[in-house]
Amino acid sequence: MKRLILASTALAMMMGSTLAADKFLVDMKGPGAGNPFWAAVEAGAMEKGKELGVEVVVMSPPAESDVAAQIAQIEDMITQGLAGIALAPTDPNALAPVVDAAKAKNIPVVFVDTKGTNEGITFIGTDNAAGAKLAADYICGKIEKGSEVAILQGIITQSTGQARATGAKSGLEGCGLKVVAEQTGEWDRAKGQAAMENIITGNPNIKAVFASNDNMALGAVEALKSAGKLADVMVVGFDANPDAAASVLAGEMTATVAQAPKNMGGFGIQALVDLKAGKTIEAVIDTGTVLVDKSNAEQYK
Amino acid sequence: MISNNPRLASFLEHYGIVVIVVVMMVLLYASRPDVFLTLANLTNIIKQNASLALLALGMFVVIVTAGIDLSVGSVMALAMMCLAVAAKAGVPWPIVILIGPAVGIACGLVNGFGLTILRLPHPFIMTLGTLNVARGLSSLITNGAPVSGLGPQVRYLGQANYDFGIFPPPTGLPASLFVVVICAAALWFFLNRTSLGRHIFAIGGNPHAARVSGINVDRVLVYVYAISGFFAGLAGLLLAGRTDSGFPLAGQNAELDAIAAVIIGGASFFGGRGTILGVLAGVLIMGLMRNGLNLNNISPFWQQILIGLVIILAVYIDVIRRRAAVRT
Repeated sequence: MKRLILASTALAMMMGSTLAADKFLVDMKGPGAGNPFWAAVEAGAMEKGKELGVEVVVMSPPAESDVAAQIAQIEDMITQGLAGIALAPTDPNALAPVVDAAKAKNIPVVFVDTKGTNEGITFIGTDNAAGAKLAADYICGKIEKGSEVAILQGIITQSTGQARATGAKSGLEGCGLKVVAEQTGEWDRAKGQAAMENIITGNPNIKAVFASNDNMALGAVEALKSAGKLADVMVVGFDANPDAAASVLAGEMTATVAQAPKNMGGFGIQALVDLKAGKTIEAVIDTGTVLVDKSNAEQYK
Repeated sequence: MISNNPRLASFLEHYGIVVIVVVMMVLLYASRPDVFLTLANLTNIIKQNASLALLALGMFVVIVTAGIDLSVGSVMALAMMCLAVAAKAGVPWPIVILIGPAVGIACGLVNGFGLTILRLPHPFIMTLGTLNVARGLSSLITNGAPVSGLGPQVRYLGQANYDFGIFPPPTGLPASLFVVVICAAALWFFLNRTSLGRHIFAIGGNPHAARVSGINVDRVLVYVYAISGFFAGLAGLLLAGRTDSGFPLAGQNAELDAIAAVIIGGASFFGGRGTILGVLAGVLIMGLMRNGLNLNNISPFWQQILIGLVIILAVYIDVIRRRAAVRT
């Protein structure tokens, strides 16, 4: 008897999942809990789901580098039946086959945050090159033409790292500044700090540094502090994470660039619902960037 | 060719590693004569590699027993997160700075007992497990968020500079240099002047003979992994102090750098052989290489290629001198 109940509950659960036709999956690069960026993507998606009356499931691999876990997750979800997938691919090439598999089953897919390699799929996210250009323009407005500046790159084999580095470089050089050093801090605070120590040792005259994310910008602040040069070198980051906002308010970092991760989640669900209803959507949907300095940093803390 | 020249081999035997360090320093000086030998740059090299030096010292003890500890990078991050969270929660600083090494020792004991009680077949497996567990825990503590603002006392070992009244501020000799020197000296004494230390070398040289001669191999191994954990925890304290932050992804792949430094420094991967000075030279070689490439604004991809080549070169030198030793 007991066994029969167990078997029937199991059966009911299996049927229940195959019947959930209006279930939308948001698969992010990293866990939302705690990481403010992914938490905002998650919140945006959940809110939009509630608003539109559809079920939203948010998942992610345990770490951004765990490509295989993300692929497995999506495969498992596809077999359970899905109405759409908003995917932030950890590795666009590696995720391409599973995206094709979803398309073959007529499951609508959009990319959020990071563009995939599959043709004909809408990308919803930040124009990183434009965001870096925004930071570069801000630096240009604050320091003299011809000054030496530096760029701390992220991992430049990733499209985000590439876009921010090139966007900043063209912006800084475009307004007549001299980029004398470009080094990678691999998105990491300690490595950014080390890179910045080397940059100011080799290039003592730099007036500003653009760091491709806030972790490295905060590392750069530590490097400048211990060299006694924080007053001479302006630090502008990217991401507007809470630590960076606090640093801007404390007058250490000068500015940072905010993405709108909540929009990524919200726009993502909206786009999937539209696709499901047979509407066509734009190939690229920009979620926007905002420059954050002392005047508006409070809201990002 | 080279290996047939006994005098050259004997010279390499004693000074090979020093030759590499000197050649590198000359090359770096030639490439950036304006910067390389400045106090600011030399202290940068020390500060940037102090944590690696501690990890490598711990790794050395493990490699001497023909073992491996893959967990050190993750354990460093876990120690860093634990002490950062404690500091933010208002725990008094004398306790906070003990938390780093204590977490490290605890993780090391887990590795040691896993090896000796669970009898897992190779330390690679046990420490691969704890690599993942510790990394997961580091992220779990704050759900992946970094923790900043640790206070001056907690930061002291990782951040303080001594100007001794001769160096113009803000330059000076970093406190982390003294931490590394003291640790290296203490470890040298321990390995060479205590019976437990000699047992560690004996196990690496010939575990069977060690067992037969009455050494409690299991007990020694537990100590060995606890020591490695201790150094990883201390490295976490230094890195947290230096960056004023605990962040869960700290020290990713640091175990590979530590292994590379130990191997470049001439320790045998099969146990029983190696010196503390060699380990420090290995760390210095990796640090000099990165520094030089950074100062010359050379792509990080070249750094990886060169580190790979140096590992191969260093072990090749080792092979030459072993051959020479067999012949004489």
